[in-house]
Amino acid sequence: MPTVEDIYRFHNTIKEISKYDFTEYSEKSFARRIEKILVDYRLNMDELLDKITEEKDFLEQIVKDITVNTTELFRDPKVWQAIKHRILAKVKKQGTINIWHAGCSTGQEVYSMLILLTELDLLDRVRIYATDINIDVIEKAKIGEYVYRFNIEYIENFKQVIQVNPYNFEEYNNIPFSKYFEVNKVNDTMTVKPLLKNIVSYHKHDLVCEDNIFKTKFDIILCRNVLIYFNTTLQNKLFKLFSDSLNRKGTLILGIHESILGPISSSFIKYGNYYIKK
Amino acid sequence: MGKYKYVVIGGSAGSFQSVTRILEALPVGYPLTIFLTLHRLKHVRKGFVEALALKSKIKVEEPKDKSPFFQGKAYLAPANYHLYIEPGNTFSLSTEEPVNHSRPSIDLTFESAAYVLKEKLIGIVLSGANRDGAAGLKEVKDNGGFAIVQSIEESQVKTMPETALHLSGTTNEFTTDQIIEFLLKQI
Repeated sequence: MPTVEDIYRFHNTIKEISKYDFTEYSEKSFARRIEKILVDYRLNMDELLDKITEEKDFLEQIVKDITVNTTELFRDPKVWQAIKHRILAKVKKQGTINIWHAGCSTGQEVYSMLILLTELDLLDRVRIYATDINIDVIEKAKIGEYVYRFNIEYIENFKQVIQVNPYNFEEYNNIPFSKYFEVNKVNDTMTVKPLLKNIVSYHKHDLVCEDNIFKTKFDIILCRNVLIYFNTTLQNKLFKLFSDSLNRKGTLILGIHESILGPISSSFIKYGNYYIKK
Repeated sequence: MGKYKYVVIGGSAGSFQSVTRILEALPVGYPLTIFLTLHRLKHVRKGFVEALALKSKIKVEEPKDKSPFFQGKAYLAPANYHLYIEPGNTFSLSTEEPVNHSRPSIDLTFESAAYVLKEKLIGIVLSGANRDGAAGLKEVKDNGGFAIVQSIEESQVKTMPETALHLSGTTNEFTTDQIIEFLLKQI
């Protein structure tokens, strides 16, 4: 494991040579990311610091390596059931619906949302923005092609959200997964069908040092399993950013093990797995 | 209360029974904090904490990210997240790649707990089928904590306790009853 001093040197070097800043990341998981990078590239800390200082591309690669991109289609189906039956049902009545996926990774949750919007016939009334610090994952999100075999739970999640209604057990929608995804077992891929593409506006965005770059306020912000990598100081700063970026009565959706613990919690009302701005 | 104030327990295949017996044996008001990192089948995402809580007299919960931990409570690593102990006595969670094919990784919880809690920590590796927990238990011992491995003879699946025993170099090979007895002595 890199020492506290090693991490300190890493932070200082990054701040000196780039616009990035990792000082407010969660200490233990950040140290673990750096340890993994040192092992994967077979470098010691001095060599790593030299290489990121000398090679701009390598620095960008390291930034990508630090960020974690785990995501899933309809991850935590209960949350998506609430999005469908509670949150979207509510915004249905208004004109334009603005949605921000902050930390969209490879796009699975963006497509989860697009599927729900299609099913609820809201697609022509939304503006969807999706951002990530890592441009590689944004490119993957745009393509929307995922490995099939490791992700079979996507289909199970899809059924739980799209086919059944936990608020009304008599309802059953016979909508097949193939309506939205082309599954190719030979190539081991599932690919988003064209009807969901070209609707989303993707941008590179660093939550740590950038403000709301879209000159608009949002009705729904999703930022799931991103804040866990940040310490409470940075989390509080982002809760403020999200609060400022939401319309009144707008919804903030976090990961199921994330919560607003600091002073900004008084700006929101918590409902199960999501927060409504007061 | 003795010198130990925290207990970190790692288990995999065949450990559920020992874990429930340990939790069942600890009395209401037990003063140490318990961290549990237990592998579970990928599809078993819910119901696990309820199953543990059923027999436990102390409160068992899945911690939220950045929440503080308190005396006399047991905390279970949520399914599909790594659980870290952070300086300042708070948790942090992570969904980074599995370690030793495991998420949660016992090693990551143990290593971070050892780093923060040092000689106040008891580490216990129970039955299991892979090598997870061995490096973590060594860290517990190297940082001045007390390292325990479930008795090889008693363990339903022996790989995990065997590896932990060898790598950590501990001689504390305890049956579940002895683990319970040891934990009760720390009050």
